[in-house]
Amino acid sequence: MDFLTNLINGISLGSVYAIIALGYTMVYGIAKMLNFAHGDVLMIGSYVCFIVMGTYGLDPLICVLLSMACTTVLGIVVERLAYKPLREATSLAVLITAIGVSYFLQNMALLIWGADPKAFRSVVRLPSVVLFDGQLVISAVTIATVLAAIIVMVCLTLFTQKTKMGKAMRAVSEDKGAAQLMGINVNTTISMVFAIGSGLAALAGVLLCSAYPTLMPTTGSMPGIKAFTAAVLGGIGSIPGAALGGVLLGIIEIFAKAYVGTQFSDAIVFAVLIIVLLIRPAGLLGKEIQEKV
Amino acid sequence: MSETSVSAAQGAALQCINLGIDFGGLTAVDSFDVTIGRTEIAGLIGPNGAGKTTVFNLLTKVYNPTRGQILLDGVDTAKMDTTAVSKAGIARTFQNIRLFGNLSVEDNVRIGLHNQVKCDMWSDMFHLPRHFKTEREFHKRSLELLDVFNMADVADAQAGSLPYGAQRRLEIVRALATNPKLLLLDEPAAGMNPSETAELMENIGRIRDDFGVAILLIEHDMNLVMGICENICVLNFGRIIAKGTPAEIQANPEVIEAYLGKPDVEEDAS
Amino acid sequence: MSKKTKSQLITYALVVCLFALAFGLSATGMMSNSMVGLLVPICAYITMAISLNLVVGISGELSLGHAGFMSVGAFTGLATSAALKYYGVITAGPARLAVAMVAAGLFAAVAGILIGLPVLRLRGDYLAIVTLAFGEIIKNLMNNLYLGMDASGLHVSMTDAKSLGMTGGTIIINGPQGAAGIDKLSSLVSGFVLVMFALFVVQNLIDSRSGRAIMAVRDNRIAAESVGVNVMKYRLMAFVVSAALAGMAGALYAMNYSSIVPKKFDFNTSILVLVFVVLGGMGNIRGGILAAALLVWLPEQLRFIGDYRMLIYAIVLISVMLLTNNARVKAFMEGFRERRGMRQAGAAEGGDGK
Repeated sequence: MDFLTNLINGISLGSVYAIIALGYTMVYGIAKMLNFAHGDVLMIGSYVCFIVMGTYGLDPLICVLLSMACTTVLGIVVERLAYKPLREATSLAVLITAIGVSYFLQNMALLIWGADPKAFRSVVRLPSVVLFDGQLVISAVTIATVLAAIIVMVCLTLFTQKTKMGKAMRAVSEDKGAAQLMGINVNTTISMVFAIGSGLAALAGVLLCSAYPTLMPTTGSMPGIKAFTAAVLGGIGSIPGAALGGVLLGIIEIFAKAYVGTQFSDAIVFAVLIIVLLIRPAGLLGKEIQEKV
Repeated sequence: MSETSVSAAQGAALQCINLGIDFGGLTAVDSFDVTIGRTEIAGLIGPNGAGKTTVFNLLTKVYNPTRGQILLDGVDTAKMDTTAVSKAGIARTFQNIRLFGNLSVEDNVRIGLHNQVKCDMWSDMFHLPRHFKTEREFHKRSLELLDVFNMADVADAQAGSLPYGAQRRLEIVRALATNPKLLLLDEPAAGMNPSETAELMENIGRIRDDFGVAILLIEHDMNLVMGICENICVLNFGRIIAKGTPAEIQANPEVIEAYLGKPDVEEDAS
Repeated sequence: MSKKTKSQLITYALVVCLFALAFGLSATGMMSNSMVGLLVPICAYITMAISLNLVVGISGELSLGHAGFMSVGAFTGLATSAALKYYGVITAGPARLAVAMVAAGLFAAVAGILIGLPVLRLRGDYLAIVTLAFGEIIKNLMNNLYLGMDASGLHVSMTDAKSLGMTGGTIIINGPQGAAGIDKLSSLVSGFVLVMFALFVVQNLIDSRSGRAIMAVRDNRIAAESVGVNVMKYRLMAFVVSAALAGMAGALYAMNYSSIVPKKFDFNTSILVLVFVVLGGMGNIRGGILAAALLVWLPEQLRFIGDYRMLIYAIVLISVMLLTNNARVKAFMEGFRERRGMRQAGAAEGGDGK
């Protein structure tokens, strides 16, 4: 039963990572940049939700949607101000800028809301599911998280495959110049990607904080890094890869915590990533790119 | 290029026996049999996409052959990688120039000289006497090599800032610095006007005479190919369709067909 | 004297001047206490910047886990110093510091080899993420490291202090609590020596056959291979030398404090050093030194801004990146360099060319 509990928790945590990873992987695939500030957008979304829930006592669902709306706007603003001017710059320059944005967001949160950890009230107020005569208890948050990840995955896949904007995104990720020549508005497309990714980050944030209810300005940092490694694990630029990588990473982390010990769980998570990348550098579902000589 | 036979192969700079490579389901090169003499200038021609650069990549082990053998000066290169093959004596230039753009012209040549000296990390890190001795020798040799191509005066310029023709020449100088037995030139005349091409022809001949090296070049400029190559190998769809002297190649109907297509029925078959 | 040599001498001179200034100000009491306390850390960070520049600027590989090597060096250094004193092998402070730093460099170099061998085969972005992963792994491992010494020798454990199985003696490294009661052997002078040493090694390497090979691999890996340069060897060389120097910087840093925890050497520290390198100009050793000195010194001076300090730091960072990478500025610089190069080459070619 322990095994099952751990597996379910792992899938749930992995679902959070998957949602965050989707944002990373889409931005990397289309804008060709590592958005290091992604985890901090998650944190901002969680704070917004927390404040709105606490101050106005609104329905949790409204709060979640509000926080997603906020981060969506935040994502677009950040992209326009900090990343768009650097589209032609080296990837390292963009990376440093993203790091600057990350520090900025963390310190803004610190100034506005303080360093003290906030007790985040879960957005999922439903009762847990009890199975096998009480031997297995699955919290509603867990179920909601997994469901959310599945819905997001399906919607995103449909979006990129069937809609015009989705196809535009795929075109831009293949060849920005050619896409532009075909009349695709690259600026709008990239902004859209950031918008979607950032909105999803808020969703991941509220779900994460509902399950692990401590909220601080640094809350987004580690999940951000882990979700990024999940995206790379699955194959960066690949949507199913992000989902797979996220879930796998969540399972590995929970199992490591349970069977080896909390103190080494981080090391194990990262060690797995390293092993996968050494065997298959493009990630599990990524494409190997041959360099033309 | 003579047919593969034991006596002809002795002393040959390069011998390819049934060389071939498949990429998944696609056979890019097949049954590539060629012998190049010690100081021969040979040409590799063919329509675009025939597999010429692929052959170069096979020779330099950028790709590993699926079948066949490569003998460099009698030595089988089967277990060698690109670095080892360079040390064994094959140097090349690239279709799209690959210089070390941020380094100076002289430094580009000095890197060509890299393997003439054994690695000594410690004397490099602490600038021990051996470092200075090596650098002095490299400096002298680099200028000598650059001088061959009248480039000694731009030794300090940044390689990436040179005009196109000079960059191509620098690539050749760098290749020569590795002291090769076989020099592979990939479209050395690309983008050159007739007077530059004529100068290049002279230079290639001079390289062969002064450095005693075998040269295999890929080219589309037929004046250059016919003018300087002693033997030519024609590739089409990854296979050799003709081998021989320039005169033989020019008269070969299959070659003409490969480049120009079948003559019309009405045309006079002279 | 070649341009390169002249430029390198200027860098040496700059460092000497900076230290003379710092030494003078602190010795005559004209420097605030908090600033004096920053002097050794500045030395450590300058060394970190110099060493990271070797990997990021010269070798062209993005390393996000540099703090890991600093950590290895820090704890190796203080453990060595403590053990030397405990077992009465060497008691004199400066000698212990020297041996400790050598040990730190060695251990960090070994870590560099172990990490570099698998990692340096990967492509750019993946290499970055794996170095980040290794940085986190090192932090995690250090957090679980217990080291103690007693009459029978050194004891190591990865579980807890009890399993060290010591009779009496002292614990040097206590897992997440790190090390306490450290002998503060570092000084401005030793910091100066370290910086000069790092500068000497890195600048020499750059202006040498090995350095050229490293840069060739950076500029065009395929061409470097075709010319017979062993790509892995030279990437590893830059990585390991850099790791060793970072280890030595870590030892200097650790022995400036009476206590230190593994958590100090985390991703933020790695990023901090990376920012020094990037702001100073990739491959620009002098720039990296100035950036490191400035960016450690400046926040202290701006203490009065208090809580807004890091916020302003972030804004400044973003602004500088936007300004220096502006497409128009870059196009101008490209054109400038091209025109100057063509004039050089054109003059040399005489009537040749187009």
